[in-house]
Amino acid sequence: MHGGSILDLEFALEVAVLVLLASMLSRELGVSIAIVEILLGMAGGNLLDLEPTSWMLFLASFASIVLTFLAGVEVDVGILRSKFKESVAIGGISFLLPFLGAWLFTYWVLDWTSDASKIAGVALSTTSLAVVYAVLVETGLTNTTTGKVIMAATFVTDFGTAAALSILFISPTLWLIPFVVVSALLIVGLPLLQPWFFGRYGNRVTEPEIKWVFVALFLLMYLGDKAESHAVLPAFLLGLAMSTSFAKYRTEQQRLRVVAFALLTPFFFLKAGMSISFSSLTANAGLIGVLFGVKVAAKIAGVYPFARRYLGQDAWYTTLLMSTGLTFGTISTTYGLNAGIIDQDQFSILLTVVILTAVVPTLIAQRFCQPPLAGIAVAPSVQDQELMAEGGD
Amino acid sequence: MFRKILVAYDGSDGAKKALNQACELSTVMQAETWAVAVLEHLPKYAATVGEVEETQEQGRQYLGTILVEAQSIAAALQVDLRVDQAAGQAAQTMVRYAQEHGFDLIVVGHSGHSAVWGAFLGTTADKIVRHAPCSVLVVR
Repeated sequence: MHGGSILDLEFALEVAVLVLLASMLSRELGVSIAIVEILLGMAGGNLLDLEPTSWMLFLASFASIVLTFLAGVEVDVGILRSKFKESVAIGGISFLLPFLGAWLFTYWVLDWTSDASKIAGVALSTTSLAVVYAVLVETGLTNTTTGKVIMAATFVTDFGTAAALSILFISPTLWLIPFVVVSALLIVGLPLLQPWFFGRYGNRVTEPEIKWVFVALFLLMYLGDKAESHAVLPAFLLGLAMSTSFAKYRTEQQRLRVVAFALLTPFFFLKAGMSISFSSLTANAGLIGVLFGVKVAAKIAGVYPFARRYLGQDAWYTTLLMSTGLTFGTISTTYGLNAGIIDQDQFSILLTVVILTAVVPTLIAQRFCQPPLAGIAVAPSVQDQELMAEGGD
Repeated sequence: MFRKILVAYDGSDGAKKALNQACELSTVMQAETWAVAVLEHLPKYAATVGEVEETQEQGRQYLGTILVEAQSIAAALQVDLRVDQAAGQAAQTMVRYAQEHGFDLIVVGHSGHSAVWGAFLGTTADKIVRHAPCSVLVVR
């Protein structure tokens, strides 16, 4: 344990080295920084006996809400509207069936407690928008019908996960009323006030825009905690509500990302890695494989028929991408561990399954099910440019 | 003989040699000539869309710059070069691009930016030769 300030500094130094190393390795290996941070956290926790301090736990917990908010901001409302029917069908079933499958499997077969099983259900119901987005960009499919339906469906699945995490574990108190009311006021009011606030106080080195978002998120966390709920759902909805206006303020969005990636999310992913136990992994390797199978089988059973109906030949590709997971899965399992709902063994098992779902379905989709390629940006030839300059066709 | 020529372009010296060769062929055969640059190394298994977008934007800017340079080289050789960007693994993307856009010749430099990896895993040129749906000219 780390008590005194010199020990805090020693721990901070060790963590800072891991964070820096993660950035470098991520660049060299071409793998996302989140995966590298989790792996380095795992190494730090198991090989160097690093244990998260209270300040790290606090930053990690705030980072999880910032990540959820950013996931909401990343929702393209236009795509969601244009592909509403398909995305609700595919995204809804993509959440529901794996949630029920993992919940019932861990409850009935593995004999986990009711709440621990619900955490398993939530953690394995997710689809990773970021993993999906990277694959769609690499395939040049972001602007095709298949790409748009997959992204919109992922938003719906994310919503299901956030809602389940916020609602399933509520122990209603009177604080629930202010939590719901303030959440609604922020979700409705902040996007309306944002243009005025950004216009009057924006574009300064002191970044009032970021502080404005942080105040709202801290308020949600505070009230969520008082109400014995979780701020994930309102944070996601707040991000969603602000996504349209944030799209007009790309620089502010980029600065928010910089602060999040540099100062907050590394603690979240490192902390998650530190909480994984090597011995649990080796003792439960078979179970990890089985739970991975449960998630993917449930996604196939649920998503494939709808994907076949709406997207025809791209059904397998869609199903596999909808089987990916990372950020929301990590948030759910970390919440379960911090709230004492799951133990370290269960956390280690679930998080490893989550990481596997980020990697394996992606590899299979890209290797065996890739739809036709499309260019991402065609630039005109010099001759065309001259013709355009001359007003020709 | 060749109507549509595709140059795999990554801005390296090898790619520039390939472009020069393609331009010569294009002049002789009156062929339509394209240079395509591939955006590789997007972060795999990302946690946030932002991480992918930032990398993508940086890559797009870089590829835009080298493709403008390619057009200048071609223009100096009196060839009207069309350019495009695609994302993915370089060899696989070039092969699919050629297939889907009906190219009948791919011109590629023997070694591009990935020469060190190429020594161990095979170069992009090796892979294109093995899998291309059309003729391939490897320029040394």
